[in-house]
This record gives sequence, C-alpha cells and structure tokens, in this order.
Amino acid sequence: MKPAAFEYRRVTTVAEAVKLLRETPDAKIIAGGQSLVPLMNFRLTRPSLLVDVNGVKALQHVGWDGAYLRIGSLVRHQQIADHAEIQKHFPVLTVAAKHIGHWAIRNRGTIGGSLAHADPASEWSAATVTLQAEIDVEGPQGIHMVPASEFFLGYYSTVVQPDELIVAVRIPYPKFRIGFAEMARRRGDFALAGAYVEDAGNGEGFVTWFGVADKPVRVPTLLPDNMETRREAWQQALETLAIADDSKPRLHLAVQMAERAWQHSRFDGARYLSEEAGGNQPL
Amino acid sequence: MTEQAMRPQFMGARVKRVEDPRLLTGQARYLDDIDLPGMLEVAFVRSPYPAARIMGMDLTAVKSAPGVRAVLTFEDCPILLWQKDSYQVGQPVLAHNEVRYVGEPVVAVVAEDRYQAEDAAELAVVHYEPMEPVLDMVQSIAELPRRVHAHAGNVFYHKEYTTQGFSEAFSQATRHLTATFRTTRQTAVTMEPRGTAAMPDPASGRMTVYASTQSPHRIRGDLAELLGWAENQIRVIVPEVGGGFGMKANTYPEDVVVVWAARHLGKPVKWVSDRTESLLTDVHARDDIHEVEVAYQENGRIVAIRDHLMADGGAYPAYPFSGAVGETSLASRVLPGPYQIPYIETVIDCTYSNKTPLGAYRGVWGPIASFVQEGIVDRVARSLGRDPVEVRRVNMIRPDQFPFRNAAGMIYDAGSYGESMEEALRLVGYKDFRARQSALREQGKYRGIGISVFVEPTAMASSEAGSIGYESVFIRVEPTGKVTAAMGLGPTGQGHETTMAQLIADQVGVNLEDIVILHGDTDSAPFGGGTGGSRSGPIGGGAALVAGREMRQRLVKLAAHQLEAAEEDIELGHGQAWVAGVPDRAMTIRQLAEIAYTHVKRIPPGMPIGLELLARYRPEQSVSFSNGTHIAEVEVDPLTGLVQVLNYVVVNDCGRLINPLIVEGQIHGGVAQGIGSAFLESLRYGDDGQLMTTSLSDYLLPEATDVPRITIKHLVTPSAGEGGIKGMGEGSLIGAPTALVGAVSDALAPFHVMVDRLPVTPDDVIEWITARE
Repeated sequence: MKPAAFEYRRVTTVAEAVKLLRETPDAKIIAGGQSLVPLMNFRLTRPSLLVDVNGVKALQHVGWDGAYLRIGSLVRHQQIADHAEIQKHFPVLTVAAKHIGHWAIRNRGTIGGSLAHADPASEWSAATVTLQAEIDVEGPQGIHMVPASEFFLGYYSTVVQPDELIVAVRIPYPKFRIGFAEMARRRGDFALAGAYVEDAGNGEGFVTWFGVADKPVRVPTLLPDNMETRREAWQQALETLAIADDSKPRLHLAVQMAERAWQHSRFDGARYLSEEAGGNQPL
Repeated sequence: MTEQAMRPQFMGARVKRVEDPRLLTGQARYLDDIDLPGMLEVAFVRSPYPAARIMGMDLTAVKSAPGVRAVLTFEDCPILLWQKDSYQVGQPVLAHNEVRYVGEPVVAVVAEDRYQAEDAAELAVVHYEPMEPVLDMVQSIAELPRRVHAHAGNVFYHKEYTTQGFSEAFSQATRHLTATFRTTRQTAVTMEPRGTAAMPDPASGRMTVYASTQSPHRIRGDLAELLGWAENQIRVIVPEVGGGFGMKANTYPEDVVVVWAARHLGKPVKWVSDRTESLLTDVHARDDIHEVEVAYQENGRIVAIRDHLMADGGAYPAYPFSGAVGETSLASRVLPGPYQIPYIETVIDCTYSNKTPLGAYRGVWGPIASFVQEGIVDRVARSLGRDPVEVRRVNMIRPDQFPFRNAAGMIYDAGSYGESMEEALRLVGYKDFRARQSALREQGKYRGIGISVFVEPTAMASSEAGSIGYESVFIRVEPTGKVTAAMGLGPTGQGHETTMAQLIADQVGVNLEDIVILHGDTDSAPFGGGTGGSRSGPIGGGAALVAGREMRQRLVKLAAHQLEAAEEDIELGHGQAWVAGVPDRAMTIRQLAEIAYTHVKRIPPGMPIGLELLARYRPEQSVSFSNGTHIAEVEVDPLTGLVQVLNYVVVNDCGRLINPLIVEGQIHGGVAQGIGSAFLESLRYGDDGQLMTTSLSDYLLPEATDVPRITIKHLVTPSAGEGGIKGMGEGSLIGAPTALVGAVSDALAPFHVMVDRLPVTPDDVIEWITARE
C-alpha cells in the first residue's frame, strides 16, 4: 500500500499551479489529500506530479458580502463548521459540514478537494447544487464560473480540465428554507443516502439527494402537507433520477432522508442546529 | 505467613497499567519500528484469482527493477506448512502450480525498501488459467462444484456425537422447532498488522526473528521444524504487539519466507502487512452455519438439541491449527451453555473452499454457540408466548448442580449462572421494561432487550496457544533486592507486566515498582505456550503465584536463619522481613539478597546459593468455566434500519480478580467488538470469489462513538486453581453479539423478526419491516 513514484512541487500562487498542470498533463492538485492519498496508496491513481496548493493564500478565505458567500477552495471542512457567519446565514452548511468524516478529516479536507473529487455521496457537491452555487475554475485562459448544476458529470467526474483547478465557490443567499438529513452506518461515514430539501412555502420545493444517483440533481417537487401524499411526491422525484442501486432498502432510505430533511427545513436555524447537535449518535 | 498471603495487597487492586505510559505517549516499539542497518523489505505478488492454475511466470522485469535483491518463488523456497500431513494438505509458503484463494502469496520480492519492492512486484507477469471456485460450504460438502484439492476430499474434519437416549427423548418431547443460524466471516483487524523481521548473525550463525505473535516459543518451534533448523539456532523476540485476538496465534507463509530470505541473502529482512493484505490474508473467522432442531416441553424446558455444525475452513487449514475445527468442535461441546439441556446430537463438517484460511478470533466457537444457544431459548419463549427470562430460569443450571456435566460431557466447575442473570436484570431495570416497551411501541418506537447468559471455558489444557497445559516463570531476586521475572506468555495488550507483577509482589513482599516482568524473548523466557484461549491469567498467573510463593519460602528461610526465629514467625512485606510482633528488627530484602549472593557463608545449610528459581504451574482441572450475563437495550429505527444501543449491562464472574481495571477494560473491548459482530463487520466474497471488503471503508469496524456506556458488576466464584483465578479474555465477545441482536429480535417482535444471521444491517431491518407493509 505504497504509492507509485511521483514528483512533488509546492506552489504559492494559482498561476504557478496552472503552469505546472499545463506542463504535466497527468499532474494532480493536492490540498487536504483525504481522497487523493488513499487512491494513490491503492495505486488506483498514479499522478507523475503532485502540485501542493496548501501554500496558496488566495484560496484560504471565507467572505460574506450580504448577498453572496464566497468560500475559497482551500477552506477546510472544519473551518466551515466553525464559521460564525456561515452558521448565521447558511445554517444548513454548518450542519452538513459536521457530517463530513471526523474532526481530523475535517481539519485537513477542503471544500475544493471535495468538489473536485465529486463523490456522489459528498455533502458539498449536493450543497452547491441545492444552493445554486457557482464554482470558480481557473485555467490557462483565466477564471470561468460554472453553475453547480453543470459542474458534475457523474461518478467522480466534473467539467474541470486537467490544466484547471477550483479556486472558489460562490453561494447566493438562499431563497427558501432548507433542511438537511443523511444516514450513514457510522458517524462520519459517507452517507448511504442523504438529501437537502428546499421548501418554497407554497406547497412546492426542491429535493437534492446525495449518495443516491451518480451525481446530485436538484429535482422540483410538490410538498403536500399530508405525509402519505408527500411520500408519493418523494417517490416521483426519485423516479426522475438515474439510480444504479435501485434496491428496495436504498430507495426506502432515499425517501426517508428527503422526509427527514423536509422536517428539518421547518426549523429555524438555531433550533435546527441544536437538534442536530443533541441528536443521538447512530450506530 | 499463610495468613498474610491470604490478605493480598496488590491482587484485586485497581492498579494502573505500567504499560500505558509508553503506549499512550507513542514510545512503544512495535515490529515496524525495528530498523536494522542494511535491512531489506519484502512485497508479495498475490493471487488475483480464487482458483487458477499457474501456467507460467515471467519475472525478468521484476528481477531487473531498481533496488531488487531477490525474487523468490516456490522453486526457491519449497516449504509446505503442515509437513506433518495432519490434513493431507499443506499450504506451500509460495503458491505451487495452483492458487486457491485471492491474496495467496505467489512471488516474494525482496528489495532495498518497501516502495521499490512494491514497484517491482507490479511488474511480475503470472499466467493463470482460472478454474471455477468453490465458494459455498453446503455445496462443498457434496464436493460441488469440484474438489478444492484434487487429492483430498472437501470435508477435512467430520465428527459425530450423540448423548445416549437422544432419539427417544427428542421424539417424546411435545414441541419441536427448527432454525438455521448463520455467522459471517470476520477477521480480528488488529490495530498493528502482522509482521516479521529476521536478522542473521554471521558470528554465531543464529537467526534472530522479530515476530508480532502471541506464542513466541511456538513460532520458534514452527520455524525450526519447517526450515529444518535446530530450534536453539533461532531466537524469537516479540516487540510490543498491538493486538492479537487469536489471529496472531498462527505461523503464516510470510513468516517462513521472510526468515528463509534473511538466511539466504545474509541480510536482515522485514515484511509488515498493509491493511489490504491483512483483510485478505490474516486468518478469517466465524464462517459457520448451524442447522438446529430443538425438542422442548410446554413448560419451556428444553429437552434435546440436534445441530449440524458446518464451517468453511478456507483453502487450507491454517497452521498449526484450523479455526474451522476450533469453532465447531468446542461449539458442539458447550452448545447447551448455562442451561441443563440433557440431550444433544451434533454432526460437524469442516470444508475447504477457495477463500482465505479460517483461524481463531477472540471467542472462537463462543460467539457462534451463544448465538445459537440464546437464539434457541428466545425461539422457545416466543413460540410458547412466554417471557424469555422465565424460559431461561426454567432451564438454568442450579448452584447445587455443580460440578455439572453437560450433555456433551464437559464438566463445568462452580459458577453464578442464575445469579448473574438476576443481577443483570436488576441493573438494566427489567421489571418495568415490558411496560415501557409497549408504551413506546404505541408511539412507533421499537425498543428491545437481549439477554445473553454465557459460559466461557478458560485455562484449557489445549487451546489455540497449543497443547501446553502449563506455564512457567523464571524468577530472580537480584543482588540488590529487586525482582525480575520472565514468562513464556505473549501479551498483545492485556497488561501482563502489571498483573503478573501484582501477583508476585504480594508473594515476595516487595512493591510493584521493584518488579520487572520480561516476556517475548525465547532466549530469556522459560518455555511456555503463549497467550490465547484465556489462559494467561489462570495458568500464567498461577505460575506467577507459585514462583512468588517458592521465592517467598526461600526468603523466609533465609530471614529466619538471620533473625534466629522460627520460619512460621517471619513476615514479609514492603521489601522487608521481620519477626512477627517485632517490626523494629526488620531486615530488608536487599540485605537478604546480599547474603544470598555475596555473604554466602550465612546461608542456612541445605539452601542453594542465590535467589533464582524456575516454577511451573499446571492446573489440575483441564478447564475452568467463567460465566456472566450481558443485557443490551436497543432502539431500532424503523425508518433508517439503524440500531442504537441505549443501555448495556454486564455481570461478569471470572473467579478472583487480579485487577478489576484490566478486567473491565477487557469487557469494554469485547463489547465493542461485539457491536462489530452484531451490526457492522462482514468479509464479503463476490460470486466470482473476489473478496470485496479489502479496506476499512468497506469492512466497517465499530468506532468509539458506536460504543455505549457499559455498566459492569463483578461476581466472584473462585476456581479450584491457584489464586481462584479464572480466565476472562473472551467472555465479553462471546456474550455481546448475542445480547445485541437478541435485543433487535425483541424490538422487532411486532414484525415477527427473529434474527438468524450476523451481522444485522440497516438493509436487513428495512427489508424485514417493509416486507410486512
């Protein structure tokens, strides 16, 4: 379980990183290394060059201007979980952050790394799609903004080109109340199923599942007051997705998580957070 | 003197472990910390197929890769495990013409470091012709789809046993039920993986082998035998071992290859398993099926059990014992557990398959037999509409029945079976549980209680540590009065440096910090069986008591002579000896030691010079049974299928306790592993024979947050052995899985769920619940 040989360069600017990526087509960016390093140790990926962006200060900031939240790609999951303004304006992100791995993983793992890795069970990928975020990608031609809905192509696959890297995520202030729920075998594991649900307040809304299809998709849905009809709505929303594992337990869980997320969407932020924090730890 | 020994100061005390400071501060030295000048490292090319013929190999690229010093195949190292031919099948240490499980070592690449070794191993070209794998143990019994070994039948162990009068009793009972119990492959997953290093000494010609093992002398003997060397040419040193759980009681192919390579290259060589190798090639365990028929009466009394026990032993019998045989044969003998079930009939079939060999994992037979035994009781209770506690009371062995001979002929020494259950019921608040349970069901909450009353055979004359029914302690009071004791045990985290020192300190009359316990070096330790089968406490501890007592007698004799008093009047303690009632005229043990080694003229006639002796202890009984009760209260979430453990109670009886702190630590660990067995751990093979759980993201282990608070209470029914000690290393993992899944059955009773396989996953729960909708 040792990686194949590779070169290593540490950079301090995005431009340097892009230059190295251009020169070496099979180079990889390393940030927190929480997904990449295991893959390298299993020799499932073998980049000839690692470009370490941990020294790029420009990627390390969180900013809130009253309309948009901007999170630099190098911001760690734990920084998001601890960020006071995120908690105030985007409590759903605080809750989601706390479901990522364990503290040690959250201290290292970055939001940019998570989006680039594009695990279909990732909390962040689905969050960006739910919140209609824009993902800033920088390459030889400069920065371009990609709507999250167009960013993910499928399992571990995004629009980011080999000579590009993610520099930031821009998230508009949410229009609707949002709830989050996920179910994992153990605390901190990737979700077997999870969902974000937006409630527009008029009996309609959106559901974005993760860990269910090959990528997060924001699906419009009805949100009837009656639980049985709501359940049917979740099922109809699920049917619009391409689901590889459509076993009964998996679909059951997807529906349950959407329902649970919707229940959470009705809490105000603070109560939602305390509910989550005090929630019993699942096995 | 005897009076004083009866009120020990250290035995039974909550002494903090002397091992912990080095372990907790990262100062411990494990096998992988051993780094000798010029040391080479090994990577293995392993079989990607469960069954295939090797048609040829091209290793030229491997041999010319950077840093490579040697590339070994079976042709170079033609050694078979099981040369004694006990099972007609011996695993070649490197595959010979055929591979029989995924992960089987085929080629060993020795290079300057592990990176280079792995780089080179990738370049090996092995031409395989795949064959249909044998994967299903029921089919394997029928030799389907084929034999795993052309020259040997698939059933490599078959045994039948019937209590006299079984058929009559079985057919006369008024009620009968059948059930099939299935456990799933697990493995120990020690925090420190397996590993071996070997260093030839050109000067003496001897080989020093560093091994992460539970049985230092055993692996020395195995290596000597397999390599054809004299055993005094091998010195085995066991560094700190980060967990064994039975998995490190074997000698593995890699051990032999590493030592062979060191000899032939004249260089130190090391191999340390990585996690994927561990999951693929550490012995697996718990691959068992029990097909059970039960005869019982209307009053809940269980009359007779018929059980067909099957275990999938994997491709080869692990060396030098097969876990499949261990899991089934002892299960067949302890199947009735704490219940007076008069008749049993068992048939055992252990089979070969194209999977990893089966070995021991903590509890071995026990977690499976407990699952069957308590599963039977719960089924009887449910079928009669009676409380499961009542049915247990009806069948429980009574205190006046000890020693109790069970239906398979095992003799149980005294225990506290019924008392442990009643105490656990009290602690968990069973009295009002049923009322709470039904009130919560009204609200859609599904809570259940699972009861597991276990018996644990310990201190067995024969176990995975081998058929060594005794332990040895070499004890020396140094010329300065400090005490050094060396043992043949192989602790893997149990804290023997603390517990054995406690036992010796009381006897010799010194303080704990004056004692050093040595283990894990065959050059200094007397011959011993090692650690396994819950034998270190009762047998090793017994040996420590005997050695301490014999040393005490020497010191008393010496002191009596110096103090001109009768031996009966001498008292020892706190590093001193004095005449009873005259503590002012004390001599220090240091002074006595000076006489024993230096002023030898002052030694009384007939006493040997020095203060050194070797003591051995072999219990008169070939087994001593610990017992206890685990009760789990769980809540099952019908929406997610997740199980949450709300309350967990253990009442444990392991005879006289050496150190309650350590006993409780053992229990905590066993319950944690029980949660793994009950809900998480499963080594899954695909239909193609590939192991699909080759990393810890697929093979789920319990984490700290999964382990509930555990209430523990001790009962003490001493054994007849030295110190009244019984073993207790495995009971907690024997009891826990059954309590946990029994609670799931109880919680989901409205859905008619009765768990019959381990582990219970969220998908299972969802299937059960939605099947009723």
